[in-house]
Amino acid sequence: MKALLYTEIYKLFCSSRTYTTFAIAIVLMAIINLGLYTDGENILSFILKPLKDYFILEGNILNGYLIAYFSLNTLWVHIPVLVIIVGTYIFSSEFEYGTIKVLLSQPISRTQLIVSKLAAMVLYNIMFMTVLALFALVPSVLIFGKGDVMVLNDGLHFILESSFLKRYVLTILFATLAMIAFSSMGMFLAIWFKNTLTSILVAFGVLIFHTLIQSFVLALSSGWQQLLFTFHMSMWQQFFVTEVPIRMIVKSAIFLIAMTLIFTQLTIYRFKYINISE
Amino acid sequence: MLSIKDLSLKYDNEYILSDISFTVKRREILGLLGPNGAGKSSIIKILAGLVKPRSGSLTLDEESLSFEDLRAKCGYLIDSPSYYPHLSAFNNLKLIERINYTKVDCKKLLGLVGLGDVGKKKVRHFSTGMKQRLSIATAIMRSPELLILDEPFNGLDPNGYQDIINLLKDLNACGTTIIVSSHLLDELEQFATAFVLINKGKIALNISKTNLMKSNRKVTLTFSKDFNASAEALIMEKEGIFISNRVVELTIKPEEIGPIINALVVSGSIPINIETHTILQDTYFELAR
Repeated sequence: MKALLYTEIYKLFCSSRTYTTFAIAIVLMAIINLGLYTDGENILSFILKPLKDYFILEGNILNGYLIAYFSLNTLWVHIPVLVIIVGTYIFSSEFEYGTIKVLLSQPISRTQLIVSKLAAMVLYNIMFMTVLALFALVPSVLIFGKGDVMVLNDGLHFILESSFLKRYVLTILFATLAMIAFSSMGMFLAIWFKNTLTSILVAFGVLIFHTLIQSFVLALSSGWQQLLFTFHMSMWQQFFVTEVPIRMIVKSAIFLIAMTLIFTQLTIYRFKYINISE
Repeated sequence: MLSIKDLSLKYDNEYILSDISFTVKRREILGLLGPNGAGKSSIIKILAGLVKPRSGSLTLDEESLSFEDLRAKCGYLIDSPSYYPHLSAFNNLKLIERINYTKVDCKKLLGLVGLGDVGKKKVRHFSTGMKQRLSIATAIMRSPELLILDEPFNGLDPNGYQDIINLLKDLNACGTTIIVSSHLLDELEQFATAFVLINKGKIALNISKTNLMKSNRKVTLTFSKDFNASAEALIMEKEGIFISNRVVELTIKPEEIGPIINALVVSGSIPINIETHTILQDTYFELAR
């Protein structure tokens, strides 16, 4: 098992796709920082115009913490897209290269192989989210400094500078869990279709479908909404409301863990009995 | 050594393999033959644990074992060679070495299959023949007691054939039992010691090389001019079939070939071309037609 895990991690780090997704995340963060550095004051005054009639706003409003939050909020739909590319590829590439035949003709257990791939996928998600978290926060704090954060999310919320880092770390942990859940769906699709492109397209389709329903079908009761995994994925935003709804977040975390476990079980079951005939 | 009994495989209500039973003796080189789609690769995939059969059992040295357990005793080459294209040949081997918990001199292994100079090259830059050699290196990595190779000559040039045949002969001389599937009858006849011919998922012929050599040969003789009367009488005596005035087909024992040609030469009919077929070739061509 140790050797299998080592080889999976080795393959992950030898793949250019892994570094490409990191690079894309870093470039996106750099673009956001650059955009806000050059025109941030104008954008902010436009956004805050209605508020200025009722509030006196003082201090460093356009600060690094606000930009870190803004970056996550802007990219939360794009991050799963990047994550699923590598998450799916870990599994489907073996079918595409035909290396699955070489691997499975060695005296190793199918379950151990799939579990080691799962572990590599989880490690990739943790690494990706860590890179994202650091590059969303550190450069913006260095350029724009720290400060309290104003968040518009079902009302206006003020996040004190002192509590921001704690909320940010919890957000990243929750987002990592969400990405692992989404990747676990990707890996199931990869085993099912044995093809990277089809798996990624179907995963995108599911993501877009859930997002559209969540965004546009207003008639959905909150009960129905809770069946959409995008509803639970976006729950990280609740860490940036004044009173964090812990119960709701825990419920979503349980949903995401359950989703991960179900897809993992389905993947193991499918992989165990699959015939590698092509 | 390895006995396969009543192996059957069914896909979409169609039998791909039906009641396949044969035995490979220790130190034997068994040639698995058959036209495209006959079921050779399916047998090998079952033996490699990649495909689960509908029925069938295995015994290795009189002890029954599962298809999954057989993998620990075998080295495999499964049809088209498959590797991580972004890794070097050396690193590809190292990965397989690691998951097998073995210690192998991968450089030496690459040298053994003629890839000693290109070990650091990424596999994406390899030709099909080079990938095939790398597959053979993977198959023999664990010094298995049984080597199962599916089409090991694919993509190889004539030098490549000979290198691989020599390597297989050397391994066999050191005690490795080999099952090898191929379309190349001439190459297989060079070194295999037994043959199993598969057609439409069934065994059409199962014969040892010794028996194959003893069996009647079909000999086609072509002469420069029409047969004379004494030659015709000789041919009639051997129940030959006249294809034309100058071509005749005889079915005779191998030891009779020399004397009859001598007799024909003495009678004044000199053959300008002699073509011999074994029962293996005849059966194969009959099935492949």
